[in-house]
Amino acid sequence: MIDTLITIADWPGVKWVILVLMFALPVASLLTWAERRQSAMIQDRLGPNRANIGNIRLWGILHFVADVIKMIGKEDFIPGNAHRGLFKLAPILALVPVLIAFCIIPFGPTIYPHALFDVISTDALQGMIIHGGVANDLTWADQITLQILTIDFGLIFYFAILTFANYGTTLAGWSSYNKLALLGGLRASSQMMSYEVTMGLSLMGLFLIMGTLEPGEIVRQQGPNPWQWGIVLQPVAFLLFFSAAIAETKRAPFDLPEGESEIVGYFVEYSGLRWGMFFLSEFIEIVFISMLITSLFFGGWQVPFLHDDGLYLFGTVTEMNHITVSLLRILSFVMKVFFFCWFQLMIRWTLPRFRPDQLMQLGWKRLLPLALLNTMVTALILLWIQ
Amino acid sequence: MNKQSAKHQTYAFQGKTPMDAASNENAKTITLTIDDESISVPQGSNVLEAAKRLSIDISSFCYHPGLSIAAVCRQCLVSIEGVPKLQPSCQAICQEGMVVRTQDEQSMDARRQMLEFTLVNHPIDCPICDRAGDCTLQKMYFEHDYQLSKIDVPKVRKPKAKDIGKHIMLDAERCILCTRCIRVCDEVANEHQLTMINRGDKQELTTTETLDNPYSLNTVDVCPVGALTEKEFRFSMRSWELMMTPSVCSGCSTGCNIEIHHRNTEVYRIKPRYHKDINKHWMCDEGRSIHKQWYENRLTGPMREGIPVSWEDAMTHAGHCIKTVLDTDCDSIGVVFSPHHTNEANYLLYKLTQSWGVKKLFMGGAVAVPDRADDILMDQDVTPNRQGVISIVDAGLEDTQTLISQITLGTIKTLIVLGSELDVAPMITDSSCQIIVFSEYETDMVSNASVAFPISAWMETDGSVTNRDNHIQRIYSAMPSAGQSLSAWETLVRLSNETGHGLKYNDLRSVDACMRRHHNFPQHNWDNVNPRVQLRFEHSRG
Amino acid sequence: MDTVTQSEKTTVGRATVVTVKREPSQTTSFMMTLIRGMTVTMRHFFSNLFTKTQTETLEYPEEKIPYPERHRGLHRLMKRDDGRVRCVACMCCPTACPANCITIVPAETDDPSVEKYPAVFEIDELRCIVCGLCVEACPCDAIRMDTKLHAAPVEFRGDAIETKTSLLERGGLSHAIQAGKGSDWRESEQ
Repeated sequence: MIDTLITIADWPGVKWVILVLMFALPVASLLTWAERRQSAMIQDRLGPNRANIGNIRLWGILHFVADVIKMIGKEDFIPGNAHRGLFKLAPILALVPVLIAFCIIPFGPTIYPHALFDVISTDALQGMIIHGGVANDLTWADQITLQILTIDFGLIFYFAILTFANYGTTLAGWSSYNKLALLGGLRASSQMMSYEVTMGLSLMGLFLIMGTLEPGEIVRQQGPNPWQWGIVLQPVAFLLFFSAAIAETKRAPFDLPEGESEIVGYFVEYSGLRWGMFFLSEFIEIVFISMLITSLFFGGWQVPFLHDDGLYLFGTVTEMNHITVSLLRILSFVMKVFFFCWFQLMIRWTLPRFRPDQLMQLGWKRLLPLALLNTMVTALILLWIQ
Repeated sequence: MNKQSAKHQTYAFQGKTPMDAASNENAKTITLTIDDESISVPQGSNVLEAAKRLSIDISSFCYHPGLSIAAVCRQCLVSIEGVPKLQPSCQAICQEGMVVRTQDEQSMDARRQMLEFTLVNHPIDCPICDRAGDCTLQKMYFEHDYQLSKIDVPKVRKPKAKDIGKHIMLDAERCILCTRCIRVCDEVANEHQLTMINRGDKQELTTTETLDNPYSLNTVDVCPVGALTEKEFRFSMRSWELMMTPSVCSGCSTGCNIEIHHRNTEVYRIKPRYHKDINKHWMCDEGRSIHKQWYENRLTGPMREGIPVSWEDAMTHAGHCIKTVLDTDCDSIGVVFSPHHTNEANYLLYKLTQSWGVKKLFMGGAVAVPDRADDILMDQDVTPNRQGVISIVDAGLEDTQTLISQITLGTIKTLIVLGSELDVAPMITDSSCQIIVFSEYETDMVSNASVAFPISAWMETDGSVTNRDNHIQRIYSAMPSAGQSLSAWETLVRLSNETGHGLKYNDLRSVDACMRRHHNFPQHNWDNVNPRVQLRFEHSRG
Repeated sequence: MDTVTQSEKTTVGRATVVTVKREPSQTTSFMMTLIRGMTVTMRHFFSNLFTKTQTETLEYPEEKIPYPERHRGLHRLMKRDDGRVRCVACMCCPTACPANCITIVPAETDDPSVEKYPAVFEIDELRCIVCGLCVEACPCDAIRMDTKLHAAPVEFRGDAIETKTSLLERGGLSHAIQAGKGSDWRESEQ
């Protein structure tokens, strides 16, 4: 019975449901409200705080429910000469890749269901991993990896998948039969392609240090000590990757493709739920980018100084059993993701928009050379250390 | 006094009024100086009229240029050099070399004090007074006094809202005792129905008998304040909201000049307009109600056999009928002219008969009312333009008796009738005649006519009319035609095109030009002027 | 602007290429500006998150700014001592009204001291521009705008028309001396 449950829990589909449908999507929906509330607070306003069910008001959190009801109620308008097939496909192409990309995110440590209440020594664990598990020890027989797919080329997979989102925006602009939407789509595709280059190159140094492309492995290698985390080892890479990632999500200061109120963007002809899909995909991307940055540069699910068997602080060891450690680590991951979501919203409401020429200049003339330089310097240092 | 005894001309029409004296071109002119400006006026005119020529406005209440001079209000006091005391300018007849000052301190002071006296017992109920905005007292107050009353004793109360006649309400408190209304009754209507009783501040206007003479509403016109008000107009509209369009009364052949006071498409009242030779400043009570029947029972769209149809349908059908008859039996067509319509409409109809070759022409119009005739203004002929029709159709115009006999004989089988007023209309309706009628109103004749065209009524028409004394006068349209109706001339032009005898007129001006060429008519002002004047305080009628 | 004068024209074939020299991009000092900007936004965010000191917004139906003394709100019609409308239908307010929103149909009363009263008195609050000229024009203190109420939103245009009944419901008693009531106004003024 328990074995069956464990098998089911370890099945990627179940983990995807838990991570994407039960975590990422609700958080993304809440971000639509959080963004408005946060911007209001920055600007000394109150923001949307009135949506309620009966007396339950909760600072207006229910606004995202109201938004969905509103979007469902709206007319689904398709322009007369639009390419109907592609017009309907575009929002799906914008939304689906990012949902798939969640597969590579390690959102928690490996859990050993039979040893939940035991204190697991790091040595035993290391031995288990090194020797491929102790066959006769039931404790290590089953394990649940809190990562949907453990694939060796994880980040390459992510870059590949993300390119599909580009199709979504470009096709949305093209199929609308609207020259302004087309221009918006072209702006979006040029921007996304430019910054994908920087994004990939900025991580090269990290790969060199970690020696792997698998995010779960990168997190494990960073370990519980903050001075071993990616942000300390690769601070420039963090800045480059973060900037490029924001450009990928097409949010301010890189929001020229859509430009909410001033520039006519690629989804100008979209309304109702189809528009909602573009909108939601933007916020899901925020969550995803937060998760990725957490994993690559901030130790992922690692809690500072928390090892498998307890907390190592000021030379003393506080022993904890496996379940406490795992829950703390998952909580740590969630908190870090929340922080980066909040931080991205903060950036969006602080910085003014770039001009297109500045955008391209920043991408090609500053970020890209910096990324190359970073890679080179890292490689040289590694060579020197060896 | 009864009406039979009023057979001599009344004072207002004897040519002796101040207005007549001041505009008498035959009299010797004399020159005087008013406020350092010299002016020449006919001998016999008074100083007030002379000052008016210099655009010097001497205030007055009791003086009216069309009435005898009473000089009771003392509002027009001026100082005349060589005369020790101030003189009322209405009563002072101009003398050669006279030097008059109207704006000096002494006379201005006197006028202001007189005004203060007048206002002592005036209730100052302008908010509920119909004359507000149109009131001489208000105007004077703003021009001369403009201060709070210094009197703190209670005001003398007099009857309010007193019903003194068929058309008139009296508010004795508002009365400033100028006696204009008394003089109007005496000198225009020649009936002494109003008088003053008591003395001092108890003096009060009252009636000797019911104010029921046929010119009683002139008292309302001359009243400088709101003491006498017209019952029909009372409380219905503020005078400053009204527009004024000059016109001519359609009530009878006298052709009194009138002002139509209207707002949007509603006529609120009719007021007389000064004409030197016809009506002076006056008109009869009957003429003031010409607008009342005019909304009712209007024909607003073309009809065929009593069924509403479109203009195109009606035109095609009428044209077809007329063409058929013209081709077969031209002599069986009769055309009835209307003395209730303008010269232009009748002229076009005449032109049409000429080009058709129709010979049987008749004079229509309402039947005369001998009872209403008097020597003052009212005429027994209740058609406004009979003389005009006679001068246009100079020969072969026959009366309606001939028309009836011809119909009974069967020589007339098709009849084209202009206007809805026709004394023999029931007989025509009963006969088997084919009728094409141009009518303002939905009469029995219209519902039995094979085609009926709606045309503009009097106050919607532009054109000219000729009164009994051959005065040709211009009337202006005060508002657009009701419903689908068109002007008579336009309807006739369209019908002529339909019958293949096209009259080439694009506007009334060209009709008029053509008519003048043939009938020696005077030239009217057909410029595209907007004659409407909004009544405002400065154009106060007082 | 300088950017226009600094432009260079070169001819490539038949086409003229205008090169506009723009201000150099500010990306070099971008990090510093970013940090400065973030300090400002963060300061506001956190101070507003934990206290509400800087928030200017009023939560309207619950919190209201008290209206100034001469605030012009919905109209009301004042009453005489006996409860009848003070208005004598003098038509001054529809004359003064720049928006033509007042409709009065005058009629005659039996009371000789009043004579004229409004049989119909309607104000179209949608047309009203709340200028207060009707109040200025009124010689009888019959119409006032001191209710401190807003015109309520309505579903149909016709609902925005205030009738005599609804205007009188809000109206209070006015003891102002009525014009046309005789000469005793001066005594009571003292």
